[in-house]
Amino acid sequence: MSESEIEKELSSYLNVYRVSLDTAKRSIVKKHGGNPAGLAVGINKTIRELVPGEQSVNLLARIVAVNEKDVNVESGTKRILYGILGDPSATIPFTAWEPLNVPLAKGDVVRVTNAYTKEYRGQVQVNFGVRTTVAKEKTDALPEYKPAAGVGMPYIGKPTALKVVDLREGASNVAVTARVLSVEAREVEVDGAKKAVYSGVLADDTGKSQFSAWKDFGLAEDDVLRIEGAYVKSWRGIPQLSFDDRAAVTKLKDDALAPAAKLGESPRMWIEDLAERGGGVDVTVRGILIDLREGSGLVYRCPECNRVLRKGACRIHGEVKGNADLRVKAVLDDGSGALTAVFNRELTEALLDKTMDAAIAQAKDAMSVDVVRDELSDLLVAQPIEARGNVTSDDYGLMMIVDTAKLLRVDVQTEAREMLEQMEGSA
Amino acid sequence: MMREVAWRLFAGEYNDATLEVEGTGERAPSYVITPLGAKVNRIFVVGVITDVENVGTDMQPMWRARVSDPTGTFHVYAGQYQPEAAAALSKLKPPVFGAIVGKSRVYSPEPGTVYTSIRPEAIKAVDERVRDFWILEACRSLRKRLDAANEAAKMDPPTKEALAQIGVKEALADGLVQAAAHYGKADLSRYTAMLAESLRYLLPEYREYRPPEAEPTVTEPAAKAEAKEPEEPTADEDKVLEVIASLDKDGKGAPWEGILDAAGQVGVSKDKLEESINSLLDKGLIYEPILGRMKKI
Repeated sequence: MSESEIEKELSSYLNVYRVSLDTAKRSIVKKHGGNPAGLAVGINKTIRELVPGEQSVNLLARIVAVNEKDVNVESGTKRILYGILGDPSATIPFTAWEPLNVPLAKGDVVRVTNAYTKEYRGQVQVNFGVRTTVAKEKTDALPEYKPAAGVGMPYIGKPTALKVVDLREGASNVAVTARVLSVEAREVEVDGAKKAVYSGVLADDTGKSQFSAWKDFGLAEDDVLRIEGAYVKSWRGIPQLSFDDRAAVTKLKDDALAPAAKLGESPRMWIEDLAERGGGVDVTVRGILIDLREGSGLVYRCPECNRVLRKGACRIHGEVKGNADLRVKAVLDDGSGALTAVFNRELTEALLDKTMDAAIAQAKDAMSVDVVRDELSDLLVAQPIEARGNVTSDDYGLMMIVDTAKLLRVDVQTEAREMLEQMEGSA
Repeated sequence: MMREVAWRLFAGEYNDATLEVEGTGERAPSYVITPLGAKVNRIFVVGVITDVENVGTDMQPMWRARVSDPTGTFHVYAGQYQPEAAAALSKLKPPVFGAIVGKSRVYSPEPGTVYTSIRPEAIKAVDERVRDFWILEACRSLRKRLDAANEAAKMDPPTKEALAQIGVKEALADGLVQAAAHYGKADLSRYTAMLAESLRYLLPEYREYRPPEAEPTVTEPAAKAEAKEPEEPTADEDKVLEVIASLDKDGKGAPWEGILDAAGQVGVSKDKLEESINSLLDKGLIYEPILGRMKKI
């Protein structure tokens, strides 16, 4: 294939078919078996220079963090990568929507060609699509990224005001008004250096969130604060507020929010909303225990690792003499969604109204631990229950570690009458 | 993989469904979509299990149970692949209040005919309190769909985006869009009536008129009578109960004509018989397994 032939072809596309130069080039490359993705010329930019709506941009960046997750798309589920890119100018969240031909790991330096950007919750994000290519570079191609002490990578634009219930993993440059319910200082090691972190729980009228402050803002319990320029990370699916030097923290008047006693109450939530958020701190759900899971009732745990024994053996430590424990793992379904609720020994004893020792004696009499499980099943399955605790999430769905629980006695007639009156009122 | 929610759904709505959507891709769940847009993969039902029958063979049993709620009857089938549910069903002595969680199924013997059923995962005998709470939950769930379906009916055609804008959750919005495409305009008045009827079912003030015989008529033993359980049948009702029990030879209930004749022979007139039957139905001492037959509980 000669150069003149290609020239002729190009001329035909441009002058006879009157397509754009870009389309013409792509068509010709494709026609002759090439990959037109390599053609498009992106603009080289630093992360700091990125604006929403870039069509084709090239970056040289370091992978600051990278994770996988499954998302629902029309054709089923799809595994995507998401994380944070950094260069000396700034950091930015990214998402890779298509499989990449190189594996990405934290610390890698990559040359990204033909990425595009969008705005999400007020923050610019980089997306890798079908046209995007990612190639690894030597790690010294870019100075090592450090969230330099004192100077974080600044955010671009104004912070987005959010309620606690609306915090979502990956959001950055957010503003929250909340009351500190608890705070404590501890020391952690970050990249070999000791760092003080102030963590605890804060709340507004929509819910509670754990937080981590990476700088001493002089936070004190019961303070009402306006925190601007925070970001959201997640711990086991639960969104958590984090903020560092980039954040501005202002103390507000005490009456700007309801008192701690009120904000400390556990918000009632629907499971579908918890699923959408990824979990929640100290929430209350009401539903029906529709099934007991494997491993409910009287169980024996490995003295070494605390795993529940199966047929007297630990998965790791083999046959051991286990320590007895009593617990319930049940499916709690509220009609909007379902979660696995785990009740510890104390709660299970209260539900059964008998001690673990009594349960052990009962199992000895029956020569099987099944009797305890059966009793729990009789007592709990199909019953409405209210449970309060932290809800986490992973690939297997939502899980609540129950703090308090009670079987509900619902006044069905009063509620039915109310609903009927509302119907007749609106008819 | 998020666990599928267990829908609280009345038989009246579930049995109206004729649309099944198969999931695409590996292990994708399939759904039965009702005219009100419920996308049902798993269903939770509490009702009266009125009969259980082995419709398979002794070697390969297939247990079929009928479960009544205030709006209709669910059909539950458990075979060898649902060993726990099948064992539970085979041991139940109907009538009994039962809680069933299971997967939605449709069966279409010929084009245009669709039957819905439930393949149970777990079955448990429960009490009336649990059943009443279920009715309340099913009412709430139905009202939510009715409200959303009312909004969807104003759109032509409804879209997920427009429904999301008025606060309808994604799963229901998707169900409503698919329902509109398959069923056309849903008869919302039918489901509004179903909702009102089910709510009234829970309220004693809407129960049928009780004949005066059910009240203590003699003043002297009144105190004693009041202390009695309200479910206690009257003398006529006792006679009718006996008649029904004696005529129920095949376990399918006593036929109405037989009851009428036999009641006459023990001195209960047709009017009194009707009163007694209504009262017994109210007290939950008998039920109507199929139209025209009465069975003692």
